[in-house]
Order: sequence, then C-alpha cells, then structure tokens
Amino acid sequence: MTVKYHWLILCAILGASGCSSLGVKPWERYELARDDMLMDSDPVDLALDEHIYFSKEASSGGQGFAGGGCGCN
Amino acid sequence: MKKFLLLLLLVISPVKAEIYDISQLDLKSHQGKVVYLDFWASWCKPCRKSFPWMNSLVTRYPADRFTIITINLDAETEAMNHFLGKVPANFDIYHDPSGKIAEQFELEGMPTSYLIDSNGKVVKKHIGFYTKKVDQYEREIEELL
Amino acid sequence: MQLGKKKIAGLLSAATCSLLANPVQAEEHDWDIDSAVLYYSEDDDRVDAFEPVISGKKDLGDEESLSFKLVLDNLTGASATGAVPSTQVKTSTRPSGNGTYTVDPNDTPLDDTFKDTRVAFGMTWEKPIDRNNRRTLGFNVSGEYDFASASANALWAHDTNQKNTTYTAGINVEYDYIDPVGGAPEGLTSMDAQDKNDTDDRTIVDLLFGITQVIDKTSLFQVNLSLSESSGYLTDPYKLVSIVDNTTGEPVDQLFENRPDSRSRQSLFGKYKKMFANKDIFTASYRYMTDDWGIDSSTFDFTYRFKFNKGYFIQPHLRWYTQTEADFYTYFLREDERVPGDASADYRLGDMDATTYGFKFGREFNDRHVWSVRLERYEQSGDSSPSEAFGQLDQQDLYPDIKATIVQLSYSFQW
Repeated sequence: MTVKYHWLILCAILGASGCSSLGVKPWERYELARDDMLMDSDPVDLALDEHIYFSKEASSGGQGFAGGGCGCN
Repeated sequence: MKKFLLLLLLVISPVKAEIYDISQLDLKSHQGKVVYLDFWASWCKPCRKSFPWMNSLVTRYPADRFTIITINLDAETEAMNHFLGKVPANFDIYHDPSGKIAEQFELEGMPTSYLIDSNGKVVKKHIGFYTKKVDQYEREIEELL
Repeated sequence: MQLGKKKIAGLLSAATCSLLANPVQAEEHDWDIDSAVLYYSEDDDRVDAFEPVISGKKDLGDEESLSFKLVLDNLTGASATGAVPSTQVKTSTRPSGNGTYTVDPNDTPLDDTFKDTRVAFGMTWEKPIDRNNRRTLGFNVSGEYDFASASANALWAHDTNQKNTTYTAGINVEYDYIDPVGGAPEGLTSMDAQDKNDTDDRTIVDLLFGITQVIDKTSLFQVNLSLSESSGYLTDPYKLVSIVDNTTGEPVDQLFENRPDSRSRQSLFGKYKKMFANKDIFTASYRYMTDDWGIDSSTFDFTYRFKFNKGYFIQPHLRWYTQTEADFYTYFLREDERVPGDASADYRLGDMDATTYGFKFGREFNDRHVWSVRLERYEQSGDSSPSEAFGQLDQQDLYPDIKATIVQLSYSFQW
C-alpha cells in the first residue's frame, strides 16, 4: 500500500509515465462505473456552487471532468 | 400430434439463458461450429446495448453451425441477475466473477468479442461494441458459415 | 388427444406474446435529465437568489452524446458598494445614477440596482475520435439586462494504460458585453459627477490541462492546471471607494472603483475519490489559485457519502476557502492621499476566509433516478477593524461578515 502511495505523489508532481503502475484491469471497473464514483458525480451541484462562489469570491473554475468511469468501448 | 405438441411447447417456452460457472466452460466441445465468444458485465453500457443484437443472432443463424457463448465478469452475482431479469438473454452465460478467464485472454477492454471458426481458431477480435459496426460484425460471421 | 380449436388459438396467442416479449429493445433510455432548484439567502436583507436549472444529456449511440443546460437566475436584494459606513445619515445617488438611497448611521452602504434576472443556456457535443481519444465541443450564452456573455469551448481527452490514465486539454473563450445602468463609469471619478461612457467589454481565454488516474478498483484522482487571461473592462461599474477626511475618518466623497484592464490567473486543482467496503464514498479536493492582481487563494472541499439501505444516503459537506487581498484593494482612501491608478473596496477582492458546511440527503433508486435535498450555510469574514482604520472608522465594521443559507432540491431521472 505504501509503495502505491509513493507512486501517487510522484504521479501528481510529474504527471506522466510514473502513473503506469497504477490502475485496474478493464473488467475490474464495476465500482468506478457507478454514477457516484465519477469525477463529476454531481454536475448540477458543482455548477450552482461555482456560480455562488464566483459572485462572492475572487476565484473560480479549475475543475475538469474527463476520465475514470466505466472505461468501456 | 405429439410432434405438434412438442413444437407448440418449444414456441411457448422461449429459449432462455442458462447460467453456468466458468469452470464448466469447454470451448473445445463446440468445435465444428462457428463460435461468437463475448465478454460482458452488467455495468458496461455498450455490453447492454449488444444484447438485443446478440439475441437476434441466435434466431438468425442455424444452431447446428453457430453458437454464442458469453462470459459475464460481474463481481457481484446480484448485479448480473438483476440485469438479466430486465434484459433476458437467449444464449449461454458463464459467470467468471474473479476474472480468471479474462486474465487468461488478456482482455484489453469491455466488452471484447472473439469470432472463432469451426476449427477452433480465433479469426477476429473486437474491443468494444459499436451499433454502427453491426453490419460488419454480421458479415464476418456469415463469411465463416 | 384432441385439442379444442379455442385452446389452440389461446396457446398460439400466448406463444406469440412471449416471442414478442423477448426483448428486441434493450431497456435503455436515451436521456439523462438533471433538474434542480436553488435558494440562496443572505442574512441581514442582503442578496436573495432563486435559481431553477435543468440539464439533459442524450445518448446518440457509440459513446457520442449531446447535452444542454438551461439556468434561470433571479437575484433580489442588495450588495455592499464598498463605501465605508459613517456616523451620520447619508443620502446619495445610486452608483447607477438611478435615484437616491439613504444609509442610516453606522450601516454598511448597500446598493440594490442589480435586481436581476439572468438566463444562461449551453450545449455540449461529445464524440469519440477513436477508442482512446474523445473530443468535446460546446458553447454557452447568458444574458441579463446589463450584461451579456457568449463563450465557446473545446476539449480533447486521451486515454492510455488501458484507460487507467486520461489526459485532457481544453480551451474556453468568452466574450462579455457590459451595459451598466446609467453607463460604464470613468474609473476613480467622483460618483456624484456621473462621468460615464456607454458600454464596455472584455475577453477571457482559459486553458485547462488535466490528468485523471485510476488508482485501484475503488479510488481515483485528478490533477488539473488552469491558465486564464482576461482583458478589457474588469471593473465593477456599481462599486465605490470612499474618500475619507484625514482627521475624522468621515467619508467626504465616493469614487467609482477601477481595476486593471488585464488579469492573469493560474490554478492547480487536485481531487481524490475513494469508495470504502461498505460503499460509502469520500471525496476531497484542493485548489490553489494565484494571479497578477496579488490574490492567492486556497480552497479545500470534503464530502463523505454515508449509504444506507434502499438507496438512501446522507452526505455531509465541508468547504474552507481563504484568499489574500488584491494589490489595489483598499478599505478607503484618505483625502490627503494621491488617488492610485487602480483601487477597489469590493469585499470580493479583500483578505477573507469563508466556510461552507452542511449536508445533502436523498435516495437513489435502481433505475438511476435520484432525488436529494441539500442544506448548507456559507459564512464569510474578513478583517472588520484593520490597522489602517482611524477616527470614526475605528468604530465601524469595515468588512461585514456575509452569512447565507443555501437550500437545493434536486431530481434526476432517465427518460
């Protein structure tokens, strides 16, 4: 487990080839395929919050949404 | 009369899928027929979309020369049963919850289908199911029949 | 054995029914619809917002989809102008020039000119290029009576490592047209003079680069780098900066604020999601933002979804936000000070912290329809008594807290 997390931190910083040791087989994505495990699991909440915070604070955006999920086709 | 009754019974009771454990799969026993081998799971949307088409293949191609064998990779049996309750299958399903066979086949994506000729040789491999490629899939099967 | 004709007919029709019932159609619905209504209400008669939203995504087959979103935003109430409170009653013209308003002693000057309805509409089209590449194109338009915006966006996603790693690159270009009530004021001129131009505009270009990585069967993370360049009219046409008397600290004049005509922002965002054995889900994210206005901010966001039988869930949420003030942010200007090139007393550009806490509860059904209710509190505070305060300003709250209640009702279904 600790070895995996070293890779995680390295990934986050370097962002490239270090990530190849992490991951699952294509048939092991049953939990990741769930709606609530998607990166944008609550897109409406996210958009409404973005609007509130954009009008009350000086920062906005930064979030993406692609990746994760079923990984099918 | 007996033949008539038998025919009626066959018509009334639609062919339903049998679910077997993966240990019971013996591909060699199907040699002599063209085999469409499909790996799927209930949580895979394209897999769900391929079911009506696979069901239609069973009725269209002669059972003595063509057979569909599917391997289900749902880790949770309940998920597989829930799906089959909503979308029944007309072909046999071998349940491989631990993914052993998928590992042996080195599956690269979900779904994956293999077209095996009557001599037991893998002729085609498709990763993914695309409704726009259905004509191509059928041509490939028909070429072997 | 002879079967009666009626019996044969009955059996045959039963057989036909069962054949037809053998599904030729899979039970897939094409549309995923999300609908929600948001109520946002600030304490002390400040801003109230009512926002219904509907969005839908249509599956066009083979991983292609088309989405749309429609938002209606109704704002009422008042917002701080940035002017300082006074020990005396003040009657002044609204920054828009539309009538006057009175501020009671020691009250924060507010302006309600922006009673507003905004409509926003957007569409997105996602299509695979091949097995491991997807592109998304979209546009958004929005309008209110003093502001209109149009934007276009494009995104490319690339999968590697059997789709365990996804790289994304995106661009968003936005054009805003500002037509303030009474015209766009000349920055740092006295409000009473109402020295105004007609309209103004600005352009914003955003670039996004991201990596999403699956860690294991139950967790994944995402890292994004965003770069944003804005240029044009970035000032708020209704915000003011007070000029105060050197000795007493009483406001003697009010200037329209002025911000630089360009802004360069960079942000680094990370998000982690983990599902536990009991199916509960933990989500954590952090965003760091910095810009050339001198603002640095950090946003921490945590949710934990507790799952119960029959699809019920409760999800507490905690968000903590902190930002440093813009270089040109100032609580007020002294009469004997030279007026700087840029100055703003808008609380949104000041040193502040904000906390959001609350929870969401709801129920998810087997056919993927979900209803939920979200209840949250937003509390923002800054330095109410900065060291630069003097005279009557010492007794005033120069950065009033903003506290708001958020209620959101949502319903998602397939159609």
